[in-house]
Amino acid sequence: MGSAMTANPLAIEARRVCFTYQEGTRALTDVDFHAEPGEFVAMLASNGSGKTTLIKVLVGLLKPQRGSVFIAGQDIRSLRPTDLYQRVGLVLQNPNDQLFAATVEEDVAFGPLNLGLPEAEVQERLREALDAVAAVELRARAIHHLSFGEQKRVAMAGVLAMKPSILILDEPTAGLDPAGEDLMMRLLNRLNRRQGITVILATHSVDMLPLFADRIYVLNKGVVLRQGPADEVFGDHEMLSRASLRLPYISTLLHEMKRYDGVPINGLPLTVGEARKRLLELIPEELIVKQMRENSS
Amino acid sequence: MHHVFELFSDIFAFRDNLLSRLDARVKLLLALLTIFSVILSGKVVFPLLVFVTAVSLMLAIRLPVRLVLVRLAVPMGMVAVLVILQTFLIGSTPLFSISLLGRHIQAQQEGLLRGLLMGSRVLGSVSVVLLLSSVTPAHRIFHSLRWLGVPRGWVEIATLMYRYTFTLLDQTADVLAAQRVRLGYSGLKRSLASLGVLAGAVIVQSMEQATRTYEAMSLRGYQGHMPFGPLPALSRKDLWTLGLVGAGVMGIQVVLEWGLL
Repeated sequence: MGSAMTANPLAIEARRVCFTYQEGTRALTDVDFHAEPGEFVAMLASNGSGKTTLIKVLVGLLKPQRGSVFIAGQDIRSLRPTDLYQRVGLVLQNPNDQLFAATVEEDVAFGPLNLGLPEAEVQERLREALDAVAAVELRARAIHHLSFGEQKRVAMAGVLAMKPSILILDEPTAGLDPAGEDLMMRLLNRLNRRQGITVILATHSVDMLPLFADRIYVLNKGVVLRQGPADEVFGDHEMLSRASLRLPYISTLLHEMKRYDGVPINGLPLTVGEARKRLLELIPEELIVKQMRENSS
Repeated sequence: MHHVFELFSDIFAFRDNLLSRLDARVKLLLALLTIFSVILSGKVVFPLLVFVTAVSLMLAIRLPVRLVLVRLAVPMGMVAVLVILQTFLIGSTPLFSISLLGRHIQAQQEGLLRGLLMGSRVLGSVSVVLLLSSVTPAHRIFHSLRWLGVPRGWVEIATLMYRYTFTLLDQTADVLAAQRVRLGYSGLKRSLASLGVLAGAVIVQSMEQATRTYEAMSLRGYQGHMPFGPLPALSRKDLWTLGLVGAGVMGIQVVLEWGLL
């Protein structure tokens, strides 16, 4: 039964998508992928596993040899580009690939102007988009004078100005310093939780995913190995190894403490917060109270 | 960025000073008027005055002397060649002769004067363009050109070229550095080969960049025309500045050309 027949269609869906490049490289094989409205979905894969190809198929830049892509139940082949790109936005890995105007203001306004919107609305979208990525102060700056992190945020603003309901990002944290990574992920989380934008993130960086992603797809050599919530995906160590992926560092630490040092840790914590809870369970309460008293004095 | 590429740095155009605050259209019109006047000059005085004024203004807005000299190096080199060729190839009144490889070559007065006039026009015009580019971001110049009626397609191409010049310069600098640390420039033959590889790499990278950029533009609704927002009307202050400075330039030229002082 197609998703078009359900009362609440999926935000975006790829069904049995196959894609082979002209030189013969088979990039995707029978890939099923979906995201519900307002979900935060991650595509986790090592380099060369097909995640960028899948992303390009989802936004219609590449046409699969087999399979279909639907947005809110509509086949994207039946959508005009103007309609399609108001529903789904793509932020590329390298901001230089999508910042083509001279200044931040001109670049972010590019999409709304192409939509033929009145000047007042263009300015309003410009303000909102820059505000959403904490880049209001960059408005008058030349693109080539921005730092890499600033360019990444401005590139995202340019896409947000189109007001898509689905935002797809290819390695949004690649090349950013830890503070930049943290800022980017929190921006995406805010867009997802507060504005209800469906976020699809392609990455091979595992550490932040358990904090933000509702579901994770693992791809390897163009095939979906597994999909599900973080604890299910990261609980399958054999699958992770096959996909050349690893656990989050905090999980690896506690996993090894459990395995090699016999520390009786419950479950598999995936975040620092969870790890803290599990470790506190092991420390006698009177020791914690004593330490807290010493700290406060 | 490699020091050679400082030639292209436009950071000064974004600084705040008296000249940068003027509307770009006013500056462009004044620059065009001045260049036109320089080209039509029959004497060297006016073009040289323009050259000295433009260079002085660049130094007054705190452009580094080294940068001004680097940017003037090529036009000054061209002027030197121009003067030499004109002196020795044009005219009939002998000035002096030199012996070169067993032959006597004569310098002519008419050629020297003509070379100096042409050279002064080159320096005057180029210095005006350099001044304009030092106080006006390129994208504002392009928008002003569009306002003046330059075809939209030309302005779009110029805008994209300008945007990606810096990206490609950075990539070129990276390839150059990578070649250098692997002794790619340790001799003449190697250097020539490395330069060839560098040129090829830049061409390939620019083609790939163009493809990616086009995809990104399509994703944001590009349909063959870059949208440019409207420009506000010129203010009264801008119009007065245009009128007064324009009249001043023309007045000075008339006085100097006709020797009224």
